[in-house]
Amino acid sequence: MATETNADVVIVGTGIVGCLIAQQMLDSGLSVLMLEAGPRVDRWRIVENFRNLPPSLRLHFDAPYPPKPWAPHMESYTDAAAAEYLQLEGPNARAYRQGYVRYAGGATWHWAGICWRLTPEDMRLKSLYGVARDWDIDYDTLEPYYTRAEYAIGVCGPSDPALQWPPIRSKPYPMGPLPFGPGEQRFTDAAARLGLKNVPAAQARNSGIAYDGRPPCCGNNNCIPVCPIAAKYDAATALPKIEAKGGRILANAVAYRVETGQKNAIEAVHYFDSDKHSHRAIAKIFVLACNGIETPKLLLLSKDERNPNGVANSSDQVGRNMMDQPKLVAELILAEPMWTGVGPVQGSSIMQTSQGDFRGKHGGALFRFNNLARSALGGVAAVRKGLVGKALDAEIRRLSACTAELTIEHELIPDPNNRLTLSSKKDWLGINKPNIYYDVGNYVRRSAKEYSVPLVRRLAAELGAIDVQVSTEFTNSDHIMGGTIMGADSAASVVDTDCRAHDHHNLFLPGGGAMTTGGCGNSTLTMAALALKAADAIAAQIKRS
Amino acid sequence: MLGGLAAAPIVPTVAADPSATDFPNQFMELSSLLIAHRLDHDVGLRLAAALRMKDAAFVVHVGGLIEIAKSKNAKIVEDFFADVPDGPLRDTALLIISAWYLGVIVDEPDTEVFAYELALMYRPTNDVMTIPSYAISGPSGWTSEGRPLANMPDF
Repeated sequence: MATETNADVVIVGTGIVGCLIAQQMLDSGLSVLMLEAGPRVDRWRIVENFRNLPPSLRLHFDAPYPPKPWAPHMESYTDAAAAEYLQLEGPNARAYRQGYVRYAGGATWHWAGICWRLTPEDMRLKSLYGVARDWDIDYDTLEPYYTRAEYAIGVCGPSDPALQWPPIRSKPYPMGPLPFGPGEQRFTDAAARLGLKNVPAAQARNSGIAYDGRPPCCGNNNCIPVCPIAAKYDAATALPKIEAKGGRILANAVAYRVETGQKNAIEAVHYFDSDKHSHRAIAKIFVLACNGIETPKLLLLSKDERNPNGVANSSDQVGRNMMDQPKLVAELILAEPMWTGVGPVQGSSIMQTSQGDFRGKHGGALFRFNNLARSALGGVAAVRKGLVGKALDAEIRRLSACTAELTIEHELIPDPNNRLTLSSKKDWLGINKPNIYYDVGNYVRRSAKEYSVPLVRRLAAELGAIDVQVSTEFTNSDHIMGGTIMGADSAASVVDTDCRAHDHHNLFLPGGGAMTTGGCGNSTLTMAALALKAADAIAAQIKRS
Repeated sequence: MLGGLAAAPIVPTVAADPSATDFPNQFMELSSLLIAHRLDHDVGLRLAAALRMKDAAFVVHVGGLIEIAKSKNAKIVEDFFADVPDGPLRDTALLIISAWYLGVIVDEPDTEVFAYELALMYRPTNDVMTIPSYAISGPSGWTSEGRPLANMPDF
């Protein structure tokens, strides 16, 4: 049966962005209704799903999150499975196989927890290097929101400014850094011999102490696909806190249309339940925080007479400028043990390589030692060799300890041709699947050819690698950005600097989609900072009205 | 030769008509000959039942392998593996080893997992590497110290 519910603020999406906004709205005395397309599950269920995967599937971090029919997401276990939901085309279609899950708590369930900030230069590519766009807010404007976000989700990081990235901060991190394991230390030492600084990552993991009701990290080495003890922030940990403050969370509620009314104000969000019944949620303010793919998809699905190109799309920029950090990986075999699997799965990166005057010509790059335990990889490979006895054990130990993976994540610039549109193919509910054209562009290709791949080979040699295989096909980093791009010019952007839709005064589209450019690091902390900036604007707007 | 082994074993109690109660013990006996490590009995029972269900000839091959091991007076796999002929017997031996090490009979989607933290593939590195989702130490309780490759853990 159709129902109608209302709240001061309706938030579509229960990921980090939606949850941060919900908590602030509730703290401001406003009522909140959250709609989540997918199911709500307990942590133990995800952990058990993970442990009950066959070894080769444990590296597919979406695998412990089987989608519900009404809330499909990309499943990566085979190419055929991956092609089911996201419809991808273009020269680098493979590199947009984005691994978000449509579960209450969103993609932070399986993120690594890395919390890089953008640098001031990352936000001024046009004026400094003549490429891409400048942000219409500067770093100084964003900095207080970065700090608030770090304290909201609990970010640990170094107190020494020489190890901070960037070292422009108004407050220390709420917690100190986590220790390095042996592999990460060896990578750091090798980088130093090349004049490069591998710095401890700012990361949303409790370091040495409990924080916000969550325990300290104990090095379970399973941040991806799920922290079994919630030492890493994920938005699932925020859900009971939101409910304790009076917020309502509806799982299995798939938003499919945003309804506009007089003066092009948003009147309602329509959603299906898991029985395909339609319902309507009304509010003073609407926030779409369904991630960088689902938000533009929902806007395009909602076209009406007032908005023939889709809601919030008078600029024709909705779904354009889709970004990520295209990734290459170097697989190393070493003569001496490197050792992974000690501490979190990621804990540091070389960041200085993301900056430089070369950015007028090609993008920057981040280099990271992947600390995921390689024991299952070594185990499977050694068993497949048909070895037995002591020879089998020795080969497992060698293949696990004396191999390593270095990741390169490249800076990509916004290109309106990298575009999300609605596919003619429909999902289980009859909703169009997203179709995305993606070309990483010459800015990235030049970076790989002239800059990042030669440098990763030098790093590998310095580590003592006896064999190095660098991938040649770019892959996804799962940092979805750009599809509802921010700017002061309403003709060239979708949202203003508070993430408010230019076309609709009561519609906010915060998150990765709003990011004007993305730099080389994980986008999550910037998304969180933009969420808090939007939350301030929403609270002020409701107060005024 | 293989057919002869299967049809007319030298030790009749091994493979002639093993009862359901005998077979798990035989499976564990063979597993201990193939793998010189501590083996979890409950995991072994489940593997034995599943492998027997999967292949009707499995019981016979287990008997054949035990017979070869006994004929060589074997204590560990290195004592008799060279004498296991290519074909079903060698495949069976490798399948049993693979199942104990990987914790699965087949490494593919939707398979049954018989062991996660008890899968032996995690043990040769468990002096340093975490079994993902199981912590080794405690809050910030790890260091950058590695271990030599030659120091194989006892397991």
